[in-house]
Amino acid sequence: MNEPPPVLGTWKRLYTAVALYLAVVIVLFSLFTRAFNR
Amino acid sequence: MRPLDWAVLAASLAFIIAYGLWKSRRTSTTSDYLLAGRQMPWYAMALSIMATQASAITFISTTGQAYMDGMRFVQFYFGLPLAMILISAFVVPAFHGSGVYTAYEYLEQRFDAKTRALVSVIFLIQRGLAVGVALYAPAIVLAVIFGWPEEWTTVIMGVLTVFYTAAGGVKAVTWTDFQQMLIMMAGLCTALIMAVWMLPSDVSFTGALTVAGAAGRLNAVVTSFDWNDRYNVWNGLLGGMFLALAYFGCDQSQVQRYLTGRSIAQSRLSLLFNAVAKIPMQFLILLTGAVVFVFYTFEKPPLLFHARELEAAQKHAGYAQVSERFDRGFELRRTGARDLLAGKDSGGFTRGQRAIDEARRDAARLTGETVNDTNYVFLTFVTTYLPAGVVGLIMAAIFAAAMSTISAEINSLATVSVIDIYRRFLARDAPDRHYLSASRWFTLFWGIYAVATARLGRGLGSLIEAVNQLGSLFYGSMLGVFVVAFLFKRVGGTAAFAGMLVGQAVIFAAAKFTSISFLWFNVIGCLAVVAVALAWPRPSR
Repeated sequence: MNEPPPVLGTWKRLYTAVALYLAVVIVLFSLFTRAFNR
Repeated sequence: MRPLDWAVLAASLAFIIAYGLWKSRRTSTTSDYLLAGRQMPWYAMALSIMATQASAITFISTTGQAYMDGMRFVQFYFGLPLAMILISAFVVPAFHGSGVYTAYEYLEQRFDAKTRALVSVIFLIQRGLAVGVALYAPAIVLAVIFGWPEEWTTVIMGVLTVFYTAAGGVKAVTWTDFQQMLIMMAGLCTALIMAVWMLPSDVSFTGALTVAGAAGRLNAVVTSFDWNDRYNVWNGLLGGMFLALAYFGCDQSQVQRYLTGRSIAQSRLSLLFNAVAKIPMQFLILLTGAVVFVFYTFEKPPLLFHARELEAAQKHAGYAQVSERFDRGFELRRTGARDLLAGKDSGGFTRGQRAIDEARRDAARLTGETVNDTNYVFLTFVTTYLPAGVVGLIMAAIFAAAMSTISAEINSLATVSVIDIYRRFLARDAPDRHYLSASRWFTLFWGIYAVATARLGRGLGSLIEAVNQLGSLFYGSMLGVFVVAFLFKRVGGTAAFAGMLVGQAVIFAAAKFTSISFLWFNVIGCLAVVAVALAWPRPSR
């Protein structure tokens, strides 16, 4: 039950990292859309 | 398909099935057969989850969707990482801790037998209806592209899938999914590289993006909100999160993938891998479609990608005039694209695109149809322009996508039939080998059922829409019951049962009387179940 994840030490930190990753992906996709889409 | 393509396709399928059977050779108990003895590593589960979700029609039509409508479909997946976090945090420990075979078995531990039975039956109806369509969808596309008889494709795909699923159970399903996902990724990357490679020598990758963007094909993020438009960032985040919560948290075809994990940590990692990998994968599939659009800006596409509709249109008197307008539009668009690459916008590109769209619409009208050849764009490109061997690889990827989805569905349908219905209500105290045998027979039954009902997909119009809408009719209320189970500990079985019935009625009413996008049915149904369950009077002590 309490087995830690292989990276970042705790599950809470790993979940936060995944949420931040999603935010970064959306920002990057927004920049991509702005750069190329008309 | 040339001999080399057939060889690549046959070798890929043979290797995948042999590998799955070899990995599942030590299956001697019901737990082995249905849950792989709970010994699966995270990477096998992770790719199995991805492969189950990526059906053949998704693979074929997503590229076509980017060609026709742009990349905004990627937003559909924005809610998925959030759902994966919630499922990892709350659902995985609950399922693992209770030692269940199915998600619905957990509902009896938490509520009562009638709630478990109701949700199990709803799952069997919903998945039972979808499995035939999942089998039929690629068959109909392959019939148009290659002229293969739909019945034969359906039977061959169905028999191969049932063979390894019935023989090896979930171990065979997971390890074949693992290989199938690798083949899908290889096929996808090859298709993207080939599409870029086939562009005219003076069109760079950045130039291709400029042309695709000018046609509105790179709209990966749309920030304006519209209830009726499923593809914007807000619908993707919220509606997509609820859909992913329902699919990965309550649908046994997905839950069974991560119940096979050797620990909570392994199951969580498999889901979080998906949270990270799914969006880039969809982005690459859509980008392939956008690059194919640019390819067809410089290389003349067929007036209609659906060969049979094109043949029907060609028989009409008005076809020559429509075709001429299409040719002029293509030349105008090509010249306009060259202008764009040279840094000047003459307006020709947009005018040419408009003329092409109008000509396509008019050509479809000649046959009395609306333009709906999204599913045929990618395979037309692949079979017309890609070299021998590569076509075989991409066909192997499409077969892999179909078989991985169908095997997981048959496997989960058999598991729910045996564990939640047969063992619970019909044969309670039989020895383990009896349930193992029953599991194989139910797998065989659902496989035959899938092949037999595949043709029902014929009258459903857009198949991917049909499958998604069908799922959304049931997912909201199922999700609602699980939300109540996990978050509201004081709510009892009768309240959850009543909430489920009301939630289901609310979704049917929303589908019948409103034009709200089906993504929102999951939210509406879930909230209705929770509201009724909380408002239901508690039994006095």
